[in-house]
Amino acid sequence: MYYVAKVINEECAKYNCKQCTLFCPEPNTLMYNDEEHHAYVVYDRCKGCALCVYVCSDLLKRNSIEMVMAESLEEKGVSK
Amino acid sequence: MSINIFKINEELREFIPQEVIDLEEKATWGNPKRGVMDLPYAKELLEEHSLCAGCPESMAFRYILASLPNPEDTIIVNSTGCTSLVFPHIALHTVHSLFGNQNAVASGIKRTLEWRFPDKVKDVIVLAGDGATVDIGLDCTLQSFFRQEKITTICFDNEVYANTGGQESGTTVQGHVFKMAPKGKQWPKVPMWQLAIDSGCHYVVRMSVSSPKKVEQVVKKAIYVAREVGPTYLHFYTPCILEIGLNSDDALMEMRDKDKERFKFFEYVSPQAEEVIAKKKEEGLL
Repeated sequence: MYYVAKVINEECAKYNCKQCTLFCPEPNTLMYNDEEHHAYVVYDRCKGCALCVYVCSDLLKRNSIEMVMAESLEEKGVSK
Repeated sequence: MSINIFKINEELREFIPQEVIDLEEKATWGNPKRGVMDLPYAKELLEEHSLCAGCPESMAFRYILASLPNPEDTIIVNSTGCTSLVFPHIALHTVHSLFGNQNAVASGIKRTLEWRFPDKVKDVIVLAGDGATVDIGLDCTLQSFFRQEKITTICFDNEVYANTGGQESGTTVQGHVFKMAPKGKQWPKVPMWQLAIDSGCHYVVRMSVSSPKKVEQVVKKAIYVAREVGPTYLHFYTPCILEIGLNSDDALMEMRDKDKERFKFFEYVSPQAEEVIAKKKEEGLL
C-alpha cells in the first residue's frame, strides 16, 4: 500500500531527455532503456518521493511519469 | 585498493547476489571520464540506502560517486550524521572514526598511502555534514587546510542538526526556527567557504546540488587539484526537507530557489589550481 513512480512509455519515448534518471535520489531506480527509448522504474527500489514527477511534469512539462499504487501494478519487479 | 577486489571468485559465483555481480559487470571502473551521464545505464557504487524519500543528500551522493575519476583507488572518510547512514551501502573503502576528526584521519591515511604506494595515485575524500565540518570538527578541518594536506573535503550543508531532531548548527541562517531551537538562531551563518579560502584551500566551491553536471565538474576539479596542489573544499547545499517542513518532491524546488540567494554558485581557484585545471582540460579529463 504505497505509491511508486510509473513511466508512461509512449509519452516518454517522444523525448530523449533522461532528466528524471539524474534527479531521482535513489540509486539504480530510474534507468533508461536505449532500445525502446524510454525510462523505466525498478519498483522494488522506488520510495515514492515523486521527485521525478516534479521534474517531468512541473519543470519540463512532459507529463510522462505518474504515481500509482504498488499493488495495482500487474508486472512485478523491474518494468521495462 | 584495487579493481581486483570487485572481481568475483568463479567458484562462488552462483551464490553471489545479483547486485554484487552487477557491480562487477555494469559499474564503471577504470575510466577517468566517467560521470553523471553514466547514471541512466551503469550500476552505481551506491546500493539501496536508508535516507528519507526525496532526500537531496542522496542525490549528492549519486553525483559524487558517479564523478570520482578513480573510484577503485579512492578512500572516503566520513563522520557522524545522516551521511554516515549511507556509507555501509557504498562499494568503496570508507572509514568512520569519531565525530569531527574526519580531516585528521584523512590526513593520516593520505600520508600513509603516499609513503606505501609512492608511484600510484590514491585519492582521499572527506564527506561529512555541516555539524562535523563546521561545528564539532572545525578544529581538525581547518588544521588540515593549514597543513596543506592533499585531501578533498566535501561538506553537505543542511543548515541544521537534522539527524537528532533539529538543533541549530553553525551553518543555520540567523533567525531560523527549528523544533529544538524554538527561539531562532541569534548569530549569522558561518561562511565556511570563506574560512576555507583564508585557511589555504586551493579550490573552493559553494553551490547547491540542483545541477548534476555542475557537481560532476566541481568534484573532478577538486580531486585533481587536491592530487597535485593541496587541500580543496566543496560546500554543497542539501536541505533537510523534513526539518524545514517540505514534501518529498519539493527538494529540487527548494535548491533551485536557494541557487538565486545564499547558495549562488561561487568558485575560488588559486593560481596553482588554475594551472592544474588547464592541464587536465588539455588532457580532455574535464
